[in-house]
Amino acid sequence: MFGYLQIHKDELKVKEYEAYKSAYCGLCRQLGRDYGVLARLILSYDCTFYAILLMSLKRSCSGFDDGRCRFNPLKKCKYARCEDDAYSKAAAVSVISAYYKLVDDINDGGFFKRLLCRIIKPVFHHWQKRAAAGYPQIENIVNQMMKSQNVLERGGEVNIDSAANPTAEMTASLLELEAKDDSERRVLREFGYHIGRWIYLIDAADDYEKDKKHGSFNPFIITGSYEADYVSSVLNQSLARAYDAYNLLDIIDFKPIIDNMLLYGFPKKQNSVLQKEGEIKDE
Amino acid sequence: MNNPYEVLGVSPNATDEDIKKAYRNLAKKYHPDNYTDSPLADVAEQKMKEINEAYDEINRMRQKGKGTGSSQSAGGYGSYNSAQNSQYYSVRIYIQRNMINEAEKILDEAPPEKRDAEWNFLKGMCAFRRGFNEQANTYFNTACNMDPNNPEYRTAVNNMNNQRAYNYGGYAANPNTNVSGCSVCDICSTVMCLNCMCNCCRAC
Repeated sequence: MFGYLQIHKDELKVKEYEAYKSAYCGLCRQLGRDYGVLARLILSYDCTFYAILLMSLKRSCSGFDDGRCRFNPLKKCKYARCEDDAYSKAAAVSVISAYYKLVDDINDGGFFKRLLCRIIKPVFHHWQKRAAAGYPQIENIVNQMMKSQNVLERGGEVNIDSAANPTAEMTASLLELEAKDDSERRVLREFGYHIGRWIYLIDAADDYEKDKKHGSFNPFIITGSYEADYVSSVLNQSLARAYDAYNLLDIIDFKPIIDNMLLYGFPKKQNSVLQKEGEIKDE
Repeated sequence: MNNPYEVLGVSPNATDEDIKKAYRNLAKKYHPDNYTDSPLADVAEQKMKEINEAYDEINRMRQKGKGTGSSQSAGGYGSYNSAQNSQYYSVRIYIQRNMINEAEKILDEAPPEKRDAEWNFLKGMCAFRRGFNEQANTYFNTACNMDPNNPEYRTAVNNMNNQRAYNYGGYAANPNTNVSGCSVCDICSTVMCLNCMCNCCRAC
């Protein structure tokens, strides 16, 4: 994943921001525990969102502990205490998706990037194997996503919907695993699908200029439909449908934070990405 | 049934006014208009039923405590279904039951010359249920152009347009909006400054 699922800090209360940070630190600590200190470097906002959502769905966060940051021992921080394996799952998703992203870069990247990726690949592979042993379902889901993405890029029928489908299916399936009954399963599926679709499409919009230069795969280039208004309405609709589904979930813990992300954080990120692209075009 | 106060997300000590407010907020959230064409329409309907029951229950309990006999029902918001005569009756049933593959199979068998407005609308519904928003948008618009007077198609197109504007957070997600630019306060203060300066000149 790519770091688009962020909060809008200005719109949060201080205590909510503290809670968000403590979940972020908690996930970082879990990455260190499960996969070693280097794995902390792949900590992402996306997986923090996933961890917070899981803790909220299962109501498994039971308080906050004081601690110190491993990278900066002078800095005090809080850790959100989690009673089940939400952090471990989020850590597994982090390393598995990081590994497949690396494999993807080896296939598509330039010479130096490929070289670098090959050097660090054994480390990532080691983590991925360990995560896959603990969470085979997560490994299957991400693996499936990579396969369908490859099929599509190597000669499938490309339009906006079909290009976003593999990633959307992946997040839908990941969230679906957490449902406690059938109706919640459907809601989570719909929510995950549209969040995943949004992530894929905003990443495609973000990389538009770069992909154009390098001739890489990008659905907006292939369909020739890159216009700020169009892209923004496509992205809006995914967020709107995700929000409608989200409203049907029973969220109590961390609700203000997740609300903030869906209503302010993601639209803000979307605006900044589209604005940046607009400026490049104008030059 | 769950604790009705928990269903509405209020404390048992909340005032009647707070409870009414919480109920209204939830009713707005689960309103069927938000879930037109959505695969989750039935889930929303179920939630609506739960909060209606919870609200009625609380009213009943409180009125008993006060000793006033009459109990009133809140159920202003319900669900609606449109029964229609349609040549694609079975397709509609399949879509209602979320059996999208079966629905599309029948639709795809229709010969090209028979692909009328309703065919496009139902194709759009299938795409929408799958999450394929762009295809759905194209089909709905085609249906609406072929039969502009049909309220069902018009609703679907409007629904799409609303979602594409996504104004829930008060943020128009328009990339050209300048968030930190000139606010109303800026305008006022500028006018005030100008006014001071003008007065100052006249005094001289």
